[in-house]
Amino acid sequence: MTNAAVDTARPPLGLAMTSLLRADSIVILNSKTSLVLSTLLPIVILVATTFGKAQSRLGGSSLIIGLALTLGLLTSCLLGFTLALAHDRHIGVLQRLRVTPAPNWMIMTSRLIVQVATNLIASVIVVIVGAIVHGLTLNVGQYLLVIAVALLGAAVFLAIGQALVGLIQSTNAISAIGRLLMIVLLLLGIFGGTGILGDTIKAISDWSPVGALMTLFSDVLNQSAWSGQDTGSLLACVAYIVVFAFIGIRWFRWDSR
Amino acid sequence: MNEVNMPAQPSVLDISDLRVAYGARTVVEGVSFQIDRGEIFGLLGPNGAGKTSTLSAIEGLVKPKSGRLLVDGIDVQKEPLDAKARLGVQLQSSSFQAELTIQQIARIYGGLYGVKLSREQIGKSMRAIGLEEELGKRFKQLSGGQQQRLALFIATIHNPLLLLLDEPTAGLDPQSRRGLWRRIEELRGEGNSILLTTHSMEEAQAVCDRVAIIDHGVLLTVGEPSELIDKHREDPRVLSVAHGAPTLEDVFIGLTGSEIRD
Repeated sequence: MTNAAVDTARPPLGLAMTSLLRADSIVILNSKTSLVLSTLLPIVILVATTFGKAQSRLGGSSLIIGLALTLGLLTSCLLGFTLALAHDRHIGVLQRLRVTPAPNWMIMTSRLIVQVATNLIASVIVVIVGAIVHGLTLNVGQYLLVIAVALLGAAVFLAIGQALVGLIQSTNAISAIGRLLMIVLLLLGIFGGTGILGDTIKAISDWSPVGALMTLFSDVLNQSAWSGQDTGSLLACVAYIVVFAFIGIRWFRWDSR
Repeated sequence: MNEVNMPAQPSVLDISDLRVAYGARTVVEGVSFQIDRGEIFGLLGPNGAGKTSTLSAIEGLVKPKSGRLLVDGIDVQKEPLDAKARLGVQLQSSSFQAELTIQQIARIYGGLYGVKLSREQIGKSMRAIGLEEELGKRFKQLSGGQQQRLALFIATIHNPLLLLLDEPTAGLDPQSRRGLWRRIEELRGEGNSILLTTHSMEEAQAVCDRVAIIDHGVLLTVGEPSELIDKHREDPRVLSVAHGAPTLEDVFIGLTGSEIRD
C-alpha cells in the first residue's frame, strides 16, 4: 500500500503481463494433477507398452509415442486447463482479475501461454523417454517437428476446452462432460484407428482430433514422406482450432452466474 | 485578497441515467448520482435491488444498456483501462488464486496495478493489517476475516482515487467490522473516495457521509443519513414501521417495503 498521493496512472502493460504470467506459472507448477496428467501418465504408457505384444498391436513404437504425446496433451489441455478455468470462473478469480487494469485478452493469453509452454516441455520429455524405452533414434529436425505438432495439438485441445467452458456455465457439468469427451476421443483415436470397429469408425477416427494428431506424430517420428493423409490431418486440426476457438471466445462468460 | 482561480475538479464518480439489463430483465433503471473527492457514499438496498449491478457497471464487469459513467472525468465505457486504474475494488464474491501465498498475491496484484513492492514493503504492509505471520500461507489457508483484510489491502494497493466495496463487512465479526470501519476512515483521510454497498444501517450511519437507497433498480432517495431521516420523518410508510422516533432503518424499510427478499 503506497502512502503517496492518490494514483491515477495506468500501469505499463508489460508489468501487468509479467505479473499474470508469474501468477499462472506458480499456479500450474503447484498443480500436481496437471503435471502428472501431462507427463507421468504418457510415460507410464510408454513403459507399459514395451512389454509383450502391446507394441505391435498398437501399431508400432512411433504410433505408441504419438499416442502418449496425444494423451498428455488431451488430458492436460482438455481436463487441466478447462477445469482450472471453470473453477477460477466459479470462485471469482477471473472477475477479480477483470477489475484490474489488465485487459481481458491479456488475462486469457497469459493462461494460454503458460499452458502451451508446459505442454511443450512435457512433450519433449515424453518423446525423449519414448525414444529411449522404444529404442528410436531421433534427429534434431524430428524433435522440432514433434514440438510443432505438439503446439498444434495443444491448440486443438485448448480450443475444444475453451468451447466447453464457453458453452457450459456449471463447473460440475464441465468436469463431467470433459471427462466423458476425453474418454470418447481417446477410445475413438486408439481403437477406431486400428479398424477393428469397422471402416466407418476408422474413417471417423482418422479425422478425429486424437486420430489426426496421432497420424502427424507417428509420421514425424517415422520420418515418413509427407502424404495426403498428413495434409488432411493438418487441415482437420486447423479446422478444429478455428471452429472451437470461435465458439469458445464468442460464447465465453467471465462469471458463472 | 488575491483570488486564485483553480480549475474545477470533476466528481470522482459521475453516474447519469444508468440503465443495466440482463437480457430482457432490467435491473438498474435511470440511476444518477455523483461522489465527490474524499466522500464516503453508501448504496443501500434490499437483496436484488440493483446495488451490485450498479457497482459492476462502474467496475466494467457489465456493459450498461444506456447512461453515462465517468470516473474522474474518464468515460468507463470508452476508456475502461484508464478508469480501472483509478478504481480499487473489493467484490462481494471474489477470490484470489488459492495456490498463491499472501506474499505472491501482494506482488502479483501490485504488478497488475503498476506497483512494485519489495519483500520488506510487503512485510510492513502485512504487519499493519495483522497478517505478518501468514505471509507464506496460501490464500485458501486463511480464515474468512483474514481473506477479507487481504482483499481490502489489494483493493487499495495502488492508492486508488475511488474505492468500491461491495458489502465489505458481510460475515465479519464485530471486531473485524470495526477494524474495517477504521480503515475506511483512514483511507478517506488519505484522500480516497469510497462507494460501499451495505445492508447495515448501523454501518451506513457510522461511516457514510451520504447514502442512497435503491430498490427495484430505481434510486429512491439520496442524502446525508440525518437528512434522509428528517426528509421522510412524516412519510406514512416510514411512520407505519417506526417504533418511536424514525431511524435510518425505518426510512429504509418504509421506502423499500417489509417483504423479505431473496
